[in-house]
Amino acid sequence: MSFWEVFLPALLRGFIETLKILAIAAPISVAWGVVLGSARVYGNRFVSLLAAGIVGLFRGFPLIVTLLIIFFGLAELGIYLTPFWAAVLGFILCSGAYQSEYVRGAIRSVDVGQSLAARALGMSKTQELLYVILPQALRRALPGISNEIIYMIKYSSLAYIVGVVEMFSVSKHFNSLYFRPIEIFFTVAIIYLAMTTSATISFKLLESKLRIPGLEVEV
Amino acid sequence: MFWAYVPYMLRGVVWTFALVGGGLGLGFFIGLPIAIGQVYGSRVVKSLLDIYVWFFRGVPLLVLLFLFYWGVFPALGHKLPSLEASIIVLGLRSGAYQSQIFRGAIESVGEGQMIAARSLGMSRVSAIIHIILPQALRIAIPGWTNEYAIMLKDSAICFALGVLEILQRTRYVVIATGEALLPYVTAGFLFIFLTYGGTKVFNIIYEKTRIPGLVWRM
Amino acid sequence: MVLRAEDIHKSYGETAVLKGISFEVGRGETKVICGPSGAGKSTLLRCLNLLTRPDRGCVWLEDVELTSPSVNINEMRQKIGFVFQEFNLFNHLTALDNVMIGLTRVKKMPKNEAKRIAEEKLLTVHITEDLWNKYPAQLSGGQKQRVAIARALAMDPVIILYDEPTSALDPHLIGEVLEVMKELARKKITGLVVTHEIGFALSVADEIMFMYDGRILERGPPKEVVFNPKYEETARFFKRISELYGVRR
Repeated sequence: MSFWEVFLPALLRGFIETLKILAIAAPISVAWGVVLGSARVYGNRFVSLLAAGIVGLFRGFPLIVTLLIIFFGLAELGIYLTPFWAAVLGFILCSGAYQSEYVRGAIRSVDVGQSLAARALGMSKTQELLYVILPQALRRALPGISNEIIYMIKYSSLAYIVGVVEMFSVSKHFNSLYFRPIEIFFTVAIIYLAMTTSATISFKLLESKLRIPGLEVEV
Repeated sequence: MFWAYVPYMLRGVVWTFALVGGGLGLGFFIGLPIAIGQVYGSRVVKSLLDIYVWFFRGVPLLVLLFLFYWGVFPALGHKLPSLEASIIVLGLRSGAYQSQIFRGAIESVGEGQMIAARSLGMSRVSAIIHIILPQALRIAIPGWTNEYAIMLKDSAICFALGVLEILQRTRYVVIATGEALLPYVTAGFLFIFLTYGGTKVFNIIYEKTRIPGLVWRM
Repeated sequence: MVLRAEDIHKSYGETAVLKGISFEVGRGETKVICGPSGAGKSTLLRCLNLLTRPDRGCVWLEDVELTSPSVNINEMRQKIGFVFQEFNLFNHLTALDNVMIGLTRVKKMPKNEAKRIAEEKLLTVHITEDLWNKYPAQLSGGQKQRVAIARALAMDPVIILYDEPTSALDPHLIGEVLEVMKELARKKITGLVVTHEIGFALSVADEIMFMYDGRILERGPPKEVVFNPKYEETARFFKRISELYGVRR
């Protein structure tokens, strides 16, 4: 069998593994980012301080360190996660922290009059957040959030360090076996490029679909 | 037990800063010209630069490191040592990101400045150097500070090429001591400390270079 | 009695803005509060639905004391309509959705019933069907404010509070909003209006209260207070206002 006949199927399996990680981690990280960002603005002093601490921690630690802590460090405490779930958890915590900053900024950028009108109607704080603030804030946060998702696509390659057999892991493995670095890594590079580019285009489409006149980003 | 290795870990800071300094520096000298080209260049120039930026922002750092270290550099005839190779890759990539920071900064300086300079008789080049850039560079400081923070964390990825920066040393410590949690958490906080310190320095620079009365919106 | 304010005090830091305000609004009445800027009129209105909490004093809505700590203020706010100077329409919702959202999300009404009520109220304020699916940014100021009034009306409140409803409008749009407010007043929809529009007060208000320096200096039937004021401050204010605004039809 030629090199490519062996490499490409393996690469495909790695690609699917990468997709699996992203399919789970991306949406949950957005949800977590919304929770953290909302907590920092709407929470009481303890909650918002706690959220700020979490954000500071997971933004400050390099993602790779976070991954290693979750997989190897937690094992010391008796918590054993599989490589896949350790990676997914790491991406959620790290990306969610970055996303929460965009969410927080967006929430704060919504005019205070919107809150006043919501409360004047008799809405509770939760209803105000869910029905009035977040629909507007999330539209404003979308560019930042999509940026973070695209980062996640690229940094998914780091999952190899905890043993996930995703795309980069496959390419690294094949390079040590066959030593054809340019072919192998350039192919992988192109695939990642295709992923990030199509994600960028998809998000731009999403932004224009969700656009509401008058709700553009204000500085 | 672990604490005996802390000095060993801390010596990694030197290598980390070599990576960060080299990467940011190279990135600056790549990014600024690219930004100027993207704002003032011809259509052809812009397209070529767009492709460069697209490639180096779209491919993961890990893949770039391996592609260049094992593939491109040897193919060009020089198999560079891991530190130098890493710095070049970090620089090429950072240049792509920094170009967008500078581009935004240049664009926000405002056309009026260029028009006024040309009306005085300045050439385009002269106007860029003496009028646009001094303002743009200052506008870019906050974004650039962010790039520093990102670069600092990305430098850890270079452990994969064997560079003896903070993370690689931490991994050796983990093997040596059999502990994982304490060393990695310590490394994490070390990165936080370095990020915080560096950011503070850049903020001071930003304040010190303030032009009275002038507020920009970016 | 629909709304009663008892000895309301409010200070911001060292500055006392409200220094003991008391009044009552009866069912079907329209009362107007006016006075120089900084007299605390907006603050007073926000104290009435507890958007701002008074430092001292009570607010009563019918037989419920709003200022009591045990009261469910969200429930009570449903009975008080509030129209803001800056409209504060929800930017992400169409005009129709803006009017409906209080009904569906707060009153938990089924969607079709809410829609029916919303459409009815929009027509009451002369917002025609072609505007129902427009977003606030696509509406003129006068249209926005009328939608805001419809939003308040839809909740079927026992009183509507208007906080300088026309102050943010271009002059040629003020009339359409005042016209709607006059119609509501004639329909005996209880209202308390903070405004400079003396013409409005003279034509439909049951009472004007003149606020000066955090207190109600004078009150009475509009024609009396405006043309036969007892205090010099009152006279000065209305003279200046009449010069600036004229009496609008």
